[in-house]
Amino acid sequence: MFIAIVPAHNEEKTIGSVVQSLFEHVDSVVVVDDASSDATSREAEHAQAIVLRHEINLGQGAALETGHTYARGMNADYVLHFDADEQFDAADIDPALEKLQAQGADILFGSRFFDKRSNMPWFKRHVLAPLGRIVNLLFGAVQVTDAHNGFRILNKKALDKIRITQNRMAHATEILALTKKYHLNYIEFPVQVTYHEYGQRAVGGFKIVRDLLWGKIVK
Amino acid sequence: MLSVFQVVFILFALFAIVSVVNKRRESSLGPKGMLFWILFWVGASIVVMWPESVQIIARRFGIGRGVDFVIYIALVIIFFILFRLHVKFEELKRDLTKVVRDKALDK
Repeated sequence: MFIAIVPAHNEEKTIGSVVQSLFEHVDSVVVVDDASSDATSREAEHAQAIVLRHEINLGQGAALETGHTYARGMNADYVLHFDADEQFDAADIDPALEKLQAQGADILFGSRFFDKRSNMPWFKRHVLAPLGRIVNLLFGAVQVTDAHNGFRILNKKALDKIRITQNRMAHATEILALTKKYHLNYIEFPVQVTYHEYGQRAVGGFKIVRDLLWGKIVK
Repeated sequence: MLSVFQVVFILFALFAIVSVVNKRRESSLGPKGMLFWILFWVGASIVVMWPESVQIIARRFGIGRGVDFVIYIALVIIFFILFRLHVKFEELKRDLTKVVRDKALDK
């Protein structure tokens, strides 16, 4: 079984079409509604998704891990991480899964840097993304070209090993660090990202570093 | 003759001890916590009333001035409490995550 996990926070406008686009490629779509104040849950249910709702906003990392817990319970063979804001193109899923299977990899990371399809803002491509790579290096993560890309496919082994404890945005680095820790075979795959809004700003980057540091100290 | 600072500090320490006892009555503070905080405020009051008293201890630790000694100790305690608080906060966050997640999955 191939389960798509879509963490969503106040995405009522886009969640319905995202869920519908996913059904052509996966067996089941799980939307983790992270305490949205809008109609995200209703729209997702209307589109036939399974909706798991956080009553308190915990963050994207926590939402993904809730989806993981569900997928482990369903004995899923593969899980897909997919954003709720129409950034990604569902057409990338089938070739990505094929490549993961063909190469015998445990986890696949989407990347915006492998081809020219994504309209990435200049500051993000030349300043934030390289900074992110340095942070990942410092925190013992495997090196990928696009560390904070939310498009990932995990097989059963990766799903079992990767347990996210970083509730907020630092989970992206945590996943890479766990990939290294458990010697998971990983590959990268070009995906298209369409920018509707700017997404994460520099301040968000500082928050990630702070969360990672605290994670190291408190653990 | 008491200085203004000494009077204000003693009054504040009395107020702090009263609220410590009240918190204990409301059971939001354990017996150990109550003892620690009462001793803390009594000790601080002694130091404020008789600053020379710490001079002797400070010398033993190789610190010239009693006041410096008090500030060093206070900083160490404050940072330790800050650390403890943060760990506690992280634990709370983890517990909260677990409760919210279990509830989300339990449908």
